[in-house]
Amino acid sequence: MIKWSLKLLLYEWVTVLASLHGIAFSFLLMMFFSAVFSGESERIVAYPQKVNADAWVMQKGVSNMHMAISQVWDWKEDRVRALQQVDEVESILYLNAIVNAGERNWFSYIVGLKKRAKHSAPWEMHSGKRVPEAGEVVIPEVMSRLTGLNIGHELMIVDRKFKIAGLSRHTFSMANSIVFVSYSDLAEIMSSQGSISYLMVWAKPGVSVDQLKTAIHNQLDKVSVVSQDEFVQNDYQMAMQMGVEVTVMMSIISSVLAVVIAGYTCSLLIKRHAGNFAIVRALGFKHTDIYISVIFQAVVVTFSGLLLSILFAALLFPLINYFVPAVTLIVRAETVINMFTMAIIIAVFSVIWPARQVTRIDPMKVFYS
Amino acid sequence: MILNIVIRQLAFKPLRTTFTVFAIACVLSVVLVLEGFREGIYQQIRTIVLNRGADVIVSQSGISNLIASRSVLPQLSRQEIESIDGVVDAHPITTLPVIYTKNDRSMPVYIVVYDTLGAPAQLERGRHIENAKEIIIDESLAFEYGIHLQDDFSVSEFTFTVSGISKNTSAFFMPFAFIKYDDLIDLYFESDIVGDISTLPLLSFLLLKVKPEYSLEKIMQDVEYRVPAVDAWLPDKLAENDVDMSRSMLGPVFGLMISISYMVCVLVISLIMFSNTQIRKYELAVFKSMGFSFLRMALSVLIEVFVILLLALPFAFLIASFSAWLIEEMAPIYLLQVANPGPVIRTTISALLFSLIGCLLSFIYIARLEPIIAFRN
Repeated sequence: MIKWSLKLLLYEWVTVLASLHGIAFSFLLMMFFSAVFSGESERIVAYPQKVNADAWVMQKGVSNMHMAISQVWDWKEDRVRALQQVDEVESILYLNAIVNAGERNWFSYIVGLKKRAKHSAPWEMHSGKRVPEAGEVVIPEVMSRLTGLNIGHELMIVDRKFKIAGLSRHTFSMANSIVFVSYSDLAEIMSSQGSISYLMVWAKPGVSVDQLKTAIHNQLDKVSVVSQDEFVQNDYQMAMQMGVEVTVMMSIISSVLAVVIAGYTCSLLIKRHAGNFAIVRALGFKHTDIYISVIFQAVVVTFSGLLLSILFAALLFPLINYFVPAVTLIVRAETVINMFTMAIIIAVFSVIWPARQVTRIDPMKVFYS
Repeated sequence: MILNIVIRQLAFKPLRTTFTVFAIACVLSVVLVLEGFREGIYQQIRTIVLNRGADVIVSQSGISNLIASRSVLPQLSRQEIESIDGVVDAHPITTLPVIYTKNDRSMPVYIVVYDTLGAPAQLERGRHIENAKEIIIDESLAFEYGIHLQDDFSVSEFTFTVSGISKNTSAFFMPFAFIKYDDLIDLYFESDIVGDISTLPLLSFLLLKVKPEYSLEKIMQDVEYRVPAVDAWLPDKLAENDVDMSRSMLGPVFGLMISISYMVCVLVISLIMFSNTQIRKYELAVFKSMGFSFLRMALSVLIEVFVILLLALPFAFLIASFSAWLIEEMAPIYLLQVANPGPVIRTTISALLFSLIGCLLSFIYIARLEPIIAFRN
């Protein structure tokens, strides 16, 4: 029966192919949304990940960077630097703001860098300066591509003009491109002289992160001290959480679509080969055998559609990442596992209607023609 | 005559027609949901700005957005602006993004601090702020964390009491919350956030009420002339700026998703029309042997697909509306405007155009169909 079912699918290859593509695109839709959120979440944590401090010190009650506001007195930096457990300290000012570049507004993370910034400056440059001076700005290379602005051109941050001094790599994302300016410029924009947003602290060799956190806590009050892993995890979780419902919703909608397409295909095959099914029944095959045949068809169609969607994703997503730089797509292993689970559910649901049809086929039909 | 044949054909197999209509309706509903989702995001942004109730909104010079922008106005600007002829009142608001954490789950919340104007326009439950340390939160935030009226709501270790739950006060995947100015000062001091209060935002925007007989444009000019450190905006313009920013952020993603949905649409229509053509191959062969031209037969396929589409569209709308309702119930932070004329018209026109592509396989099949098979059966 299985062999016969397979032959039936191959015989109707045009219909099956159209159906496979329909299912594949439904899965692709599901994968796409999840990949967008994964991509964005990865981008959101790119900066703290690359800074890779042992501990982050920020305003009390704050424990992450994405969409957060943090202000700490700048003298606290000296207090931390004086600790014997501390090897290095860097600080930044940070603001979520709109950058007006190339007649478009870009929601960005503005990072104010001090002159000697080492770890907190862009981690990879396309061209130009890595640490901007007063009146200068380092923008993502992708933003430069999208706006046509290049080194030497001007853009606006709040009400100030800045000259582009450098183009950084891997700092662009749909929701939070990272733009670097000098500390003094950002302090003026924020009207917050004498304060910093985040302190990044590196421990001396042999000092554990917990020892470092305890030492900072003992030295300073009214601050939060978070380890690198916690800090990145907090940002990542929050970013992903914002997309959870949408991803679930898109998965449900795409699955329903795939169920309809797979069900339609199986039902169509039964309809078109009702005579053959009648022969099968007249030959004495049990209902169970016929059900297995229909289920097999549904499973083949659904899983082939799924595999095709993975192939499409492997081909399309890198192209999208290149040609539509505003979108970052990252497919995670758990997304693919979820899709396999969904595929099983889809295959089960899609056979309900065709199975009903099969049981109604009259074995006498074989003698009619 | 062709239309007649098509209608009879569809009526002859009602169950198959129903299933076909349902399949296409499902695909179209996905497009409608995505279109409605995009439209909803823009609408939420507009509502947040327009519901503040101002005739003119004043921001820091160079700040052209209300959402996701840090605007800091000079403290004395309010006094100066209120002295302008035609301005009835300049109501202050401050916007403050915070991260709300409960049970190890965090969410960004946008707090709007108001005094006299700027409160939420619609309350789902409860009442407006009357006492100290009260807060109004968006229904999506209440739903997400199971917060009820009179429950505690802690921000930076400062505890508010929820006096009201507002409606239509989320935007940009972010719920809004509303507090009064007295509590903002207490929040800054009591929560031990920072030693110097001057570094924290105290006045972000001014909501101007203007005498009816005065021209808003004239008032805006006067405001910018008298206080050069500020910009004055009509609420519509400010809302449109926020929508534009959201469009530039989310536009490519939605564009790609809607394109994929249309691909599914084309493939499903191809699948259905091709199989329908195959099922009708003897009948089509008869037509061909009777001398019907390819054009007329292709036209019959086109009319069939258009009729199916017209039947599917109301169902698609119903499925999309149900899905939208379900999503909004599951996650009130989202608004899906599937009934907006924009998405409906766009989807209808696109579906009609894409159905043409979906018929290509059938056209090829018809062109290759041998009239001789009419006599085989």
